[in-house]
Amino acid sequence: MDLGLKGKNAIITGSTRGIGRAIAERLASEGMNVAIGARDDEATAAAGKEIAEAHGVKVFAKPCNVKDAEAYKAWLEAAIEDLGGLDVFVPNVSGGGGMDSEKNWWRNFEIDVLHTVRGAETCLPALKESGAGAIVIIGSTNAVETFMGPMAYNAMKAALVTYSKQLSQFVAGKGVRVNTVSPGPIYFEGGAWEMIKGTMPKMYEGVLKQIPAGRMGTPEEVANVVAFLASPAASLVTGVNLVADNGFTKRVQL
Amino acid sequence: MPEANATNPPTGTVDMTPLDKAPAPELPNDIIAKERYTDADFMRLEWERMWSKIWLLGCMEQDIPEAGDYVATEIGHESILLVRQADGAVRAFYNVCQHRGNQLRPEGAGHAESFQCAYHHWEYHLDGTFKRIPDSETFPQGTPCTGLEEIPCDTWGSMVWFSLDPDVEPLADFLDMIPAHLDPYQFHKMARDRHVTVEWDCNWKTSVDAFNESYHVQGIHPQLLWHLDDLNIQIDCYERHNRYIIEFATLSPRVNQPPEIPMGIKHLMKEGGMDPADYYGRVKDVRADLQAHKREHAPEQGKDYSRLHDAQLTDDFHYLIFPNVTMNVHADDYWIFRQRPHASDPNKCYFDIWTFNLVPEGEEWPDPPEFKQFRHGDRSIGLVLDQDAANLPGVQKGMNSKGFRGLWIGDQELRIRHFHKVLDDYLYGPGGKPDGAL
Repeated sequence: MDLGLKGKNAIITGSTRGIGRAIAERLASEGMNVAIGARDDEATAAAGKEIAEAHGVKVFAKPCNVKDAEAYKAWLEAAIEDLGGLDVFVPNVSGGGGMDSEKNWWRNFEIDVLHTVRGAETCLPALKESGAGAIVIIGSTNAVETFMGPMAYNAMKAALVTYSKQLSQFVAGKGVRVNTVSPGPIYFEGGAWEMIKGTMPKMYEGVLKQIPAGRMGTPEEVANVVAFLASPAASLVTGVNLVADNGFTKRVQL
Repeated sequence: MPEANATNPPTGTVDMTPLDKAPAPELPNDIIAKERYTDADFMRLEWERMWSKIWLLGCMEQDIPEAGDYVATEIGHESILLVRQADGAVRAFYNVCQHRGNQLRPEGAGHAESFQCAYHHWEYHLDGTFKRIPDSETFPQGTPCTGLEEIPCDTWGSMVWFSLDPDVEPLADFLDMIPAHLDPYQFHKMARDRHVTVEWDCNWKTSVDAFNESYHVQGIHPQLLWHLDDLNIQIDCYERHNRYIIEFATLSPRVNQPPEIPMGIKHLMKEGGMDPADYYGRVKDVRADLQAHKREHAPEQGKDYSRLHDAQLTDDFHYLIFPNVTMNVHADDYWIFRQRPHASDPNKCYFDIWTFNLVPEGEEWPDPPEFKQFRHGDRSIGLVLDQDAANLPGVQKGMNSKGFRGLWIGDQELRIRHFHKVLDDYLYGPGGKPDGAL
């Protein structure tokens, strides 16, 4: 199936490693020009070079701290200008889990929620111009089922699911689709689950047992789902929260 | 390698723990005889030429704060009374009545006005001299001696040391560089929070070895790879004693940097008053920032780090005080593991866990913990030590196997090699180990 992404432009935040990197690679492999970035200068440059070399597409790679609202806005505008327009926006950065202090709430609000909202607002004019604009927000199964503890991460991911649906209604008439992909546990080298496997093997095994298919997902599998929702092939789909978790969650979604 | 932060030097530069790397000892790469861990004759040789000749850790000064407080501690087949005197000094005696040889006190701590033998009530003053002998006129030969058999006793580092050798060298000479290295931590400000003895089915050296190399971290403590750098370690061997310095609050080069801060590092941050929430995705920044944070906030936390280098605020400075005291020393706490040989069985030992926490200025000194003794496996002693303990009986069993050729020691285990060299010097005289000797 041709997804119809070739020659189009995408911005993916937090895209030097893990799920964000896999999404950038996947979209680039479809022939999209991509803007990538993370806080780390060297990691951003290295990832940009690797993606460009692997896929022969135009890559905008500059460091970006999404907590800095002005710098983040400038980074997005520079990316859109450099790529020459925008068709797909994937706000992927997260402030991560933790229940250490109230700071976790501020962090997840600022990074998970506000970075998505600010990003959408900055990108929407260009996405409307695209005619096939798509925003794919990254949620989490932690939002829809109890996981670990009452973490800010879980609650803020839930906020994103609600925001995603209502934004999708708000912009539906402008030719922009908005969807969420909620991954279950995703295992990759340098990911949280690799550390949990090493430091808390019992917890890791416990979570693994809750996945009927017996394995966690990979970043590439999440990227496939994101690529579909981002593409004109999913032209009818907007406002959904697509759970990609290999059967980890048990609720009935009607 | 851990080193002082040159751009932000601590407040003092004298009387601080030396960080310099000691010259590498020249030691052969030969196999180490497994019989050293299993042989009863070798065990006797250790007793005669080593245990009976050196200074031994007996108890902590905080165990016996008041005159009359005492600890009866055992080493091999001997039991020793360590007694706080009216003048504040500590004296050590064999824990045995001079009448018929009955032991005066069971192992453990207590308080006494005098030591009366339970058998015929011969009674001794706290200084060991006779107080009363019932029906003394019925001993036409008089009293057997002046009282309890006294042995050398001294203190350093808030610890009480004794020796079974009346002609032992001064404690300071035996300890060598140890006080210069460890006094900056101010052990007298640290209160005991754990006092446990576990009976282990292994030779005392099997246990000592387990703490003197970091090579086993990737083997039996995989979780610590997200807590410390097990590969870039400074190993320093001195005349008798040795140490290594392990960076904590960092990652092993063996693992990928995770986005989340690992639990163990979070714990160190919280102990230092830092919020891990700020460090998501930045675990590599934690160690240096934690050092700076602790240094900056020490005064308001009632802590004095003025004699400690930045590295000491996070890292594990691990010392072996030859032969049987292994210590993990940190700015806010330290742990003493004392491994004592069994009285007769080379396949058994006693593993004493003594841990201490810094009591910040202005805070009340806590009550001492209850002493517990149990056999390995009966209770947990914490995840990391459980992992060590679970492994040791199997090591000891293997040492007794015909199919095991002997210890094949690598560079990461240099301290084990050094330890055996020092042991040989005691057993056979410096450099005097005969060919073919164990």
